[in-house]
Order: sequence, then structure tokens, then C-alpha cells
Amino acid sequence: MGSKETKNTSRRDFLIKGAGAAALGAGAFAISQVPLLEKLASANEDTVKDLLPFPELIESDEIIIRMQNDVRRALKKPLNEIQWIMVIDLKKCVGCSSCTVACVSENVLPPGVVYRPVIEEEIGTFPNVTKKFTPRPCMQCEHPPCTKVCPIGATYKSEDGIVAIDYDKCIGCRYCITACPYGARTFDWGEYHTENTPEIMQYEKEPNYEYGVERVREKKNSPIGNARKCHFCKHRLHKGMLSMCVTTCIGRATYIGDKNDPESLVAELIASPRVMRLKEELGTEPNVYYLT
Amino acid sequence: MENQHQKFISRRNFIKTSALLGGTAFLGTGLPNIKKTYSKELDYVGNFEYPLAKPENILYSACLQCTVACSIKVKINNGVCMKIDGNPYSAMNLGENLPYDLSPKEAVSIDGKLCPKGQAGIQHAYDPYRLRKVIKRDGPRGSGKWKTIPYDQAIDEIVNGGNIFKDIGENQNVEGLKDIFVLKDPKVAKAMADDVTKIRKKEMTVDEFKAKHKDNLDVLIDPNHPDLGPKNNQFLFQVGRIHNGRIEFTKRFVNDSFGSVNWIEKTTLCGQTSNKAWVHSTREYLEGKWTGGIKSPRPDHRNTEFLLVFGSIVFEANYGPVQETEPITEGLESGRLKIAVVDPRLTKVASKAWKWVPIKPGNDAAFALGMIRWIIENERYDTKFLQNATRLAATNSDEPSYSNATYLVKVEKDGRAAKHLRANEIGIGTEKEFVVISNGKPAAVDPENSNLAIQGELFVDTNLEGIKVKSPLQLIKEEAYSKELAEWAELSGAKQKDIEDISKEFTSHGKKAAVEFYRGAIKHTNGWYNGQALIVLNHLIGNMNWQGGISNTGGGWSYIGDKEGQPYPMANLHPNKLSKFGVPITKEGWKYEESTLFEGYPAKRPWYPFSGNVAQETWPSISDGYPYKIKAALISSHSPMYSLPGGHVQLKTLLDTEKVPLLIASDIVIGDSSQYVDYIFPDLTYLERWATPGQSHHIRVKVNQVRQPVIAPLTENATVFGEEVPISLEALMMSISEKVGLSGFGKDAFGPGKDLNRMEDFYLKLVANIASGNKQGELVKAADSEEMELFKSSHRHLPKTVYDIEKWQQTLTSDEWKRVVYVLNRGGRFASSDDAYEGSFIKKKIPGLARLYLEEIADSRNSISGNYFTGYPKYLPIMDMAENLINDEGEFHLITNKEVFGTQSRTITNYWAQLALQPENFVVLNSVDAKKLKVDNGDKVLVTSTSNPKGEHLIAADESRPTIGKVKIVEGIRPGVVAISTHYGHWGYGARDIQIDGEVVKGEEVRGLGIHPNPLFRLDDNLRGTTLSDPIGGSASYYDTRVNIQRV
Repeated sequence: MGSKETKNTSRRDFLIKGAGAAALGAGAFAISQVPLLEKLASANEDTVKDLLPFPELIESDEIIIRMQNDVRRALKKPLNEIQWIMVIDLKKCVGCSSCTVACVSENVLPPGVVYRPVIEEEIGTFPNVTKKFTPRPCMQCEHPPCTKVCPIGATYKSEDGIVAIDYDKCIGCRYCITACPYGARTFDWGEYHTENTPEIMQYEKEPNYEYGVERVREKKNSPIGNARKCHFCKHRLHKGMLSMCVTTCIGRATYIGDKNDPESLVAELIASPRVMRLKEELGTEPNVYYLT
Repeated sequence: MENQHQKFISRRNFIKTSALLGGTAFLGTGLPNIKKTYSKELDYVGNFEYPLAKPENILYSACLQCTVACSIKVKINNGVCMKIDGNPYSAMNLGENLPYDLSPKEAVSIDGKLCPKGQAGIQHAYDPYRLRKVIKRDGPRGSGKWKTIPYDQAIDEIVNGGNIFKDIGENQNVEGLKDIFVLKDPKVAKAMADDVTKIRKKEMTVDEFKAKHKDNLDVLIDPNHPDLGPKNNQFLFQVGRIHNGRIEFTKRFVNDSFGSVNWIEKTTLCGQTSNKAWVHSTREYLEGKWTGGIKSPRPDHRNTEFLLVFGSIVFEANYGPVQETEPITEGLESGRLKIAVVDPRLTKVASKAWKWVPIKPGNDAAFALGMIRWIIENERYDTKFLQNATRLAATNSDEPSYSNATYLVKVEKDGRAAKHLRANEIGIGTEKEFVVISNGKPAAVDPENSNLAIQGELFVDTNLEGIKVKSPLQLIKEEAYSKELAEWAELSGAKQKDIEDISKEFTSHGKKAAVEFYRGAIKHTNGWYNGQALIVLNHLIGNMNWQGGISNTGGGWSYIGDKEGQPYPMANLHPNKLSKFGVPITKEGWKYEESTLFEGYPAKRPWYPFSGNVAQETWPSISDGYPYKIKAALISSHSPMYSLPGGHVQLKTLLDTEKVPLLIASDIVIGDSSQYVDYIFPDLTYLERWATPGQSHHIRVKVNQVRQPVIAPLTENATVFGEEVPISLEALMMSISEKVGLSGFGKDAFGPGKDLNRMEDFYLKLVANIASGNKQGELVKAADSEEMELFKSSHRHLPKTVYDIEKWQQTLTSDEWKRVVYVLNRGGRFASSDDAYEGSFIKKKIPGLARLYLEEIADSRNSISGNYFTGYPKYLPIMDMAENLINDEGEFHLITNKEVFGTQSRTITNYWAQLALQPENFVVLNSVDAKKLKVDNGDKVLVTSTSNPKGEHLIAADESRPTIGKVKIVEGIRPGVVAISTHYGHWGYGARDIQIDGEVVKGEEVRGLGIHPNPLFRLDDNLRGTTLSDPIGGSASYYDTRVNIQRV
């Protein structure tokens, strides 16, 4: 168990170091941002141009195709005119957690990091009892409490409404984790699923593509030591694809699209009398809508 | 270890607690006035690399995280499989699937749906405990000590045998496979097989057989019992999860090359009783014989208005949550569909139901017979449908099928209903015709006669020419009326009103209602009749082949080449194949009375004329040496010690080198069962190998998903027939063939000039058959140059051992090759989901009758009790094979279940799914029972049963562990019932330390957490360590055990 001890110690060191960096302020930190800015060289353009091929002409009643068309239509607009929202129909959610797992796989998430758990509650007393399943992604709030507490502005509301984390800025202070009223943020402790086995497997050391940046989780590189959260698979949306939780859903309970587009499926869905949002009373204005 | 384990659990708890709604305190105030903190300079707009959506990084294949075999889209980055999604070309994984002729380049950004197991399949393949080399035990069986040995040496040892364990100080002369391969001459085999058929039909005596075959009697296990077959039968292949394609490959080896009849799957641990009950209840009557039948008719959920579910965890396990869920949730949302669930546990589907009836386990027939009584009393059955006695009568009344509800049955003097009356018996027709009462008079019925439209009377109890007869519906009515509705309710533990309400609802939607059932109803000793009662409910409303009723599966294009014009008729492509013959070790497919072993009742062990792949019968039969001894066994994709009820008792059989002298496994890891064998040959996982699985129960159009290697194999290579290939089950079988000199593999295996040197030589032929279609004009397109280039680039990461394009091409004609590429580029061949219906009917029909009476069952006996079975559904209590009542004392009724993230064995590797979502399982009880026991959540309890009064799980010759689990208290379970899921409590598969070549390989403790219920299951007192079983369908009983629970 000696190696474990060492590891715990080094993690602690890392956090202390992180806290120190925070004290230096955002200006000093900006020096380390150059690589990211390089990768985002085209960031000043207003609309997405790099969409993947899509069979525009096929006639289909398939919800996935409809939503994918919605997303592609949205991407023709300037980003700040898009408002991504997610709609989750609780009548259709069967609590399979496929979304949870698909998200972990898509984003190569380590132990302890989960973006979209499905919360299962049992309600009632035998024999008058039922179960309720509530998938809980990041709410991408209009007024996100998490961004406000970040000491260096590493987490922010992006133009298309998604609350993003700049991993290169994040110092791992975890204030945001505490601040989120939905428990949507978890921390990357730098662990691997297979670390207690004879071999850490290669799939854990291959890159993910969150925020459109290729990152390998190794050594102490970001996102290790960062807060992490759901971003609606922004990297997929910006390729004209749907969020992973949406495509894999076996009950077709999850929808994504542009709220500002009255033709979009999500805009239609939130006109339902069944619509609600979590913790409305907090005034966070979530961009995840539930149909009860 | 304990600390590490604690840490692991607490880390997982961290996920859970922080993930809870409101789990963290809210800090901010005054939010409405917060300013948007846009950060435009750090936003990106899509100009980046996303390798997971590049066509050259995608291969389509078929899942095997459960046996449904979903069509999958596998995404590879840097040669590593990084993501698995549903294949949008397939109706299994996208509700309205993509047009088949859409270019894979165009389809690249569309992902289909997949369940959490499928999503985590990467971790099954890339398991750190995967076996790469052949290992041989380096101590007694089950010692946990191994050594690696060269592949060729291992093949030499298992084939030639001898004193092969002298290296570890043992001194036994083991017969090798070559010594068991005794009958070699195909002509002799054919002649003997034909004559054994005659013995079986009592057309030839044993003496006549011995005289005729006097020169070859030494090839038989016992010349006095030729029907035991050749000594070759003493080689057993026991297999678990296996799909079409690999089935044919391994049967080619076991049955046709080695000549053993013992290719045994594990289906009676699964839904075999359901399969067989449906097959018999949907048979066709052709040329005077009952034939055919469909094993998995299921509700057409897309159009059903009332769905009644018995013991099927529709959204979680069953046979296809991915296919079944969406049409159901759509119906729930739109208001089209209403559901009732009869199950002791509040399953996820029950949580969506209008009514949940927490039934007493094993009393499904009582509930169903109560419904039948109500339906008959209130005349809510479909009279018109049931009266139609011929195809033409049905067609005339716009019905897609008809029934045998009116075909008279002879009643013996003792009141037993026997076979159908035939028209010749009362002098009004032939022995091929049935008799109904029509317009008050007996009429001969030739069911498929296209000129005959006959309607019969439904309820008949009369004498014809001195023969007492009743109609099937009359027999069913009498059984249903044998108890008052209140009594049926009492027996099933339901409220009478529930039975009434549900019956009324079920009969209020015309044909758009359906009963669906699975394990919960059938994994009992009375499972057959439970299943039959539920099928009869469907038949009473005549919902077969109607939209929204009970439907056939969509089928597919034949992969075995049995349709006219297909290029590779596999059955004919095996020169010199042996004719297998004889009674299987499990005595399945044979009536005891047909065999020369018949010597009155009880038989020494049960015979299963109506079942197949009776897995729980294999090892106890070997232990008893009945009907004969086994000399060598090869286990593959099956973990009997984990998945067999009573497996721990049979551990003694596995460890006994006298009873199983040579024990070999082909496995991907050192598993819960393979840890006890002599040799383990590494196998490939589903991401590294081939198959042509066939399709889900819930898709109404043709689907042929193809499994193909999508990642580089993790196993080492071997040289087989001069080719370097990855070590695998296929390589093992081919090497044995090469060494022993068996037919069917290697040079000229398929015929002159047609070799089978690499497994692709076999599997690509199956794909070519699929590509050619079932009839003329069904050829798929040929890949154009762009598709061919895509094929090459998407295979670039695979080594030559599994992908050698020249060799692949050579095994087919150039035209076939291009079409095969077209199919492989899409992971199979898929019809459009639009093609499901024809007017109000399902397009692909169940061709047979809705059978309410099964005369072949009524005409057969239980080989132990000697009593006849019954041809119609009846209520039976739980009994052992000798028909002794099981009336155990235990306070609780044990049931088991599966979670959506788990299968029995292999999902313990799924860190993303099973281990993250629920790291261990529980003893799940109702709060009422928890109070009684004074236990709280998380308390440890010892679970004991009649067959395991101390609660011991034997895991090695001299080692056992207690059946202790943690309590979880819920409301959603019937008080008096406890549930334990079956995915946890492993002791192999990386759960414990082992030693290879003197080095310790540390186990991972998390794989061993939780409790495994199987050692608790009630065994049959008379059958020496065999679980209770359903004597007709052959199912192992999982839900007939009483247990006691005490806090520890």
C-alpha cells in the first residue's frame, strides 16, 4: 500500500500548489494559456463551418434525425444567437443509466468523475409504491452560481449558453463544486479505473475531445486536478452531432436543440404543460427542462 | 487490502452523494441580477479534429455484452477502441434506421442507441486480466497455480494424452482426444446412426444391430446399448454465450468432425422453457405432423394498447431493452399504451405501470387461470377466432391465423386427456385429420386444406363412437373452473379485483393487447404450465400476427446458405463428415421409453424429450456416469460454477480427475469456472472475432448483424495449418483437427481446392450468403472503389493475423468479395423498419396455429415419476422431479434478478457501468421484513436454505466462504420475498490472487464484493446435487427456494 500513500501525498501537494497559484491572480496564470489559444486560433469566427457530412435529403420521422437537423440549422447562426437546451422526459426515462455510461466513455472520465448520473428514488409504501428516475446533467444555468465563485474565471458561460471550464486555467480549488446547487460538478483526482490491476489499460490514456481540444489524461496534466462537468457534448454539437446521452438513450427520453429556434423539437417540447425545471426557486434559470 | 478496498468504496460513494439532487449546499444569493460572464475569446467554433467521427475510424459490428447482440458502431482512435454506439443502419439500434444504401461516409455523424452494458464493452475486451497465453495447472485442479506453456505443446498434450501431469508429481494416464476419437469411418457412422434410429423406433433390436455391425462394435460406448452412440460422444463441448456462425463453426468441429453428439449450450439456465412452450404453442400441421413453431413471439409494442407483463424485466434484461423500450415509452407518453406488471418485485417497468401486482413467486398459472376463468365466465374471448378450425375459415373472417381450440381430444378412462381424436377413429376421414363438432355433428378437419372452411364448437364434452372426447377449450375451462376466482387470487397472492380489472382491460382492446413473460414465470418446476397458461391468454383473444398483438420476429437472410441460389450451402460443404448419433449426456431430445436404457420408473436421472441444451444436467450426469462417462470436456464462454444453480456441489465433479479425466477451457480470463481446469486456451472477445448472430425478439423486419474483428487481438499468435493466427476457440479447434487428422478443416475442407486454413475462410462464406439474399434479385450492391478504399482504411489498424486482405479475397469470388465488403462496411444487412406491417397485420407471420392443446406433451411421461404430462395449462405447486411437494420451512422466498448494467459473469470488468453504478449487490427486503429481523440498511446477514443450511459456498476442494450479504430495504418488493441480483460475488475473473510461473498476479478485491445467490438454490433431494428443474421445458429452477436470514 506504500505507493498509495505516495499518491495521496502528491495529490495533496498538487492542491496546495493550485491554491497558491490562485493567489497569484489570473494575470500571472494567463501565460500558461498560449497553447490553448493556439488551438483555438479560429475562435473569432462567428459560425461553425466544420460540420460533418449529413444525409440532408433522407426523409425520416426518426427523432434523432430531426434533432440532428435542428442542431445543424442552429449552427448556421452566430453562436450568440443559439441557446442550447436539453429536455428530459421523465415519463420516458427508464433509469437504465446508458446515458451515464456513454458520457463517461465519450469523455474518457476517470473514477470519481461523472457528468450525468441518473438518480433513482423509490416513492410510497408497499404496495402503493413506484420509482422515479431523474437524469441530472449540468443545467447550463442562465445564472450559474458556479462561475461566480471561481477565483480566476476559469469557468464561464460561453456564447451558446453552455457553462464551460477552461481546464488550463482551473486551479482545482473546487469552490465551484460546492457552489453548484445541482451537484453537477465532480473533481478529477487523477485516478484510473484499472490502476488496482496488473496493468493500466491504454484506453484510459487515449485522448478525449472535450471543448474541441485533444487531451490525454496523464501525469498531472489537465484535466487531472480540475473540476469537471457536463458540457452537453459541445464538441459533438459543434460538429453537427448530438450529445452522447441523447443518441444512446434507449427510451428516447432526452432531447437537445436550440431553444431560440421555434421550429426545433426542444422548443415544441417545452411548451408542454408537463414542463418543469429543478430548483426554480433559486433563480438559476436552468437550461435543462424536465417533462414530468 | 482492506484499506484499499475501503478507499475504493468511499471514492465511489463520493460520486453518489455529490451526484444527488440537492446534495450540496447552495451558497449564492441574489442570482437574478448576476451578469452573464461570457468569455468569447475562449470559445471555439468547431474547427478541430474529432477522430471518433471519421469514417476511417469506424467499424460496424455486433455486441455481445448480452446475448441480444445489438448492432454496434465501434469507434477506433490510434488503434484503440474508444467508443461503442448503436449502429444506425440497423433497426435494432435506431427506431427508424438509415437507408441501407446510404454511404458510410454520409452516415458518419449519426449514432444509434445502446444500453449501458454495450457502452462499457470496451472494458470487457481491454480487461487487464485477459489471458494472452496458454496456461496449464501447476498444482491440483483449483489450486490457483499455473504455468504458461507453448501452444503447440498444449495441443500435443491434450491430443495425445499420456502421463501429462507428471511434471507436478501426478501419475495418471490421461486419454488424449485422439484416443476418444474412435469412430472415424463416415460410412460406418452413417450406417450405425441409421440403425440407432431404427432401434429408437423399435424397428430393430439390439441383437440385430450387433449382428449387422459386428465388425465395428468396439467403436461404441456400450455394444449392448448402441443408442449411447460411439466413444466419440465421451468428448463434451459445453458452451454458453454463443451466436450463429460460431455455433456452426463449433458444431462443425464437435458434431461433424469429431463425431460427438455432445455440443451442449446453456439455454436451460435462460429462457428455454419459454422458447419451447412458444414453439409447441405455435406449431404448424403439415402432412399429418406437427412441425416448426416459433420460439420467441413477442408483443408488437409499437402498436399495443395493453401490455400485461409477467416476470419479465422489460427495461432491464429480458431479450432486448434497447429494442423494446422506445416503442413502450412512446406509447406511455402518447397515452396509447397501458401496462400492468405481475412480479414480486417492483421492476422498472412496474414503476411505469397502471397496476403492479406483487404476486407470490411461482403462482403465475394461478393468476392466469383466474383470468381465464373470468374471461370465459364473461365471454370475453374472441369467439369467431377460436371457432375457425381451418386456414380458409380464418381467411374468410379476416383473421391471419386460427387455432386448435375446437380439435377434440380423447379422454381416457382415468380422466386423462390424451391425443387429439383423428377422423379415422370414428370413421369420417383419415388418420391425418382432426375432428371438431360443427353444426352439432362431428366433422373431419384438414387444417390447411384450401377448400375447407370449418368452424367448430368451442365447448364440447361428449362421446363419439364410444370414445369420450372434450374440446381443448372445455379442458381449459374445467381447469380454470376447478377453483373459485377468490381461490386463484388467494393462491397467487393477488387481490381478486386485480384479476378482474386486468382481465377486463386485457379483453377491452381487441387484438391490440398482449401478454409478455419471461424468467419470472418460467424458472420454476411448474414453469412450463405457467408459460403455457400465459400463452393461452394471448390465444384467447387471437392476437397472433395482428398489429399490437403477438408477433413473429422479422427474421433475416440465411447465413448458412440453405436458400436456393446462395453460394455456400454450409451443410453440404464438409466432405467425409461423421454422422453423430446417440443419446446426449443430458438425455435431451430423447424419450426415456425410446432408449435401450429403459427399465421402468424412476429413471436413474431425468430425460428431457422436449428440451435442449439442459445445462444443469451435464455435470451431475457426468458425476453419475449416466448415461455414460465423459473422458474429456471443453468449456467455452460458460461458467457453470457461477451460473448453475447448485454449481458449487458440482465443483466436486469438476475437481475429480476420475470423473472428468481431461478438462480444458477456452476462456478470455481465468474465470470463476475455468480456474478449475487443466488447461486454459485464451479466447478472443466479441470485439476481436466473428459471428452472424441473427436478431432481436422485438424487431419486425429483417436484420443480419455481422460480428467482425474490430480491434487487434490481445491473445498471442499460433501457427495453425501453416497460418499465423490469434489463439482463439477457432484456432484451438482447428489445431486439434490438424493434429488428430479430422475432416472439415485445413486442406480441401469444403471440397476439392477449398481450404479452411483461417477462420475467415469460414465466416466470410456466411457473409457472402447473407449478401446473396434469400432469393433471386436480393443481392446487395457491390462495393464501389470508394467503399473499397474505406474498407481498407478502416481496417488499417488490424494485424495480418486477423486481416489479410489478399487472403480474404481469395476465399471468395471477386463478385462475392465486393458485396461482402458492402455488408461489412455496414456491420451487416438490414431491412428498413418501414417494412414491418401489411394492413392490420404483421408482415412476417407466425405460420402455425394458435395451439391451446399440445397433444405431444400429453402423450409423454416424466421419466422419474412415470406420470403423464398434461397438454393444457394447469396449476401445479412446486415439486421435485419425482413429484414430491417442496414445502420448505424457510421464512423468506428467494428470487434473483438482473440489473440493466449486468450479465452474470463478464460485466464485473465494467468499471464505467456495473462497478460505478452499483459496486456491490444486496439482500433486498421489504421494510416490514427488515423490522421483523431487526436489520438496517448495510447490515450484514447470513442467508441459509434447505439445501445449504450452513450458508457455505464451496469455492475450492477445501475452501468455502459464507453466503453473507448486505441488507437493502425497499418498499418495492412483496413482503416475505427477498431478491439477490446475480452479477456479484465473483471468486475468479481477477477477484483473487493467482500464481502464474511462480509470480503472484494480484486480484482486484472489488470484483469479489457482494453475495452470489446460486449456492442457496433448492436442490432435488433425489438427484445428487442437481437443482430443481422443470421436467418439460428443462429450465433450472431459480425461484423456488426458501431461505432464512440472520444478522451476523
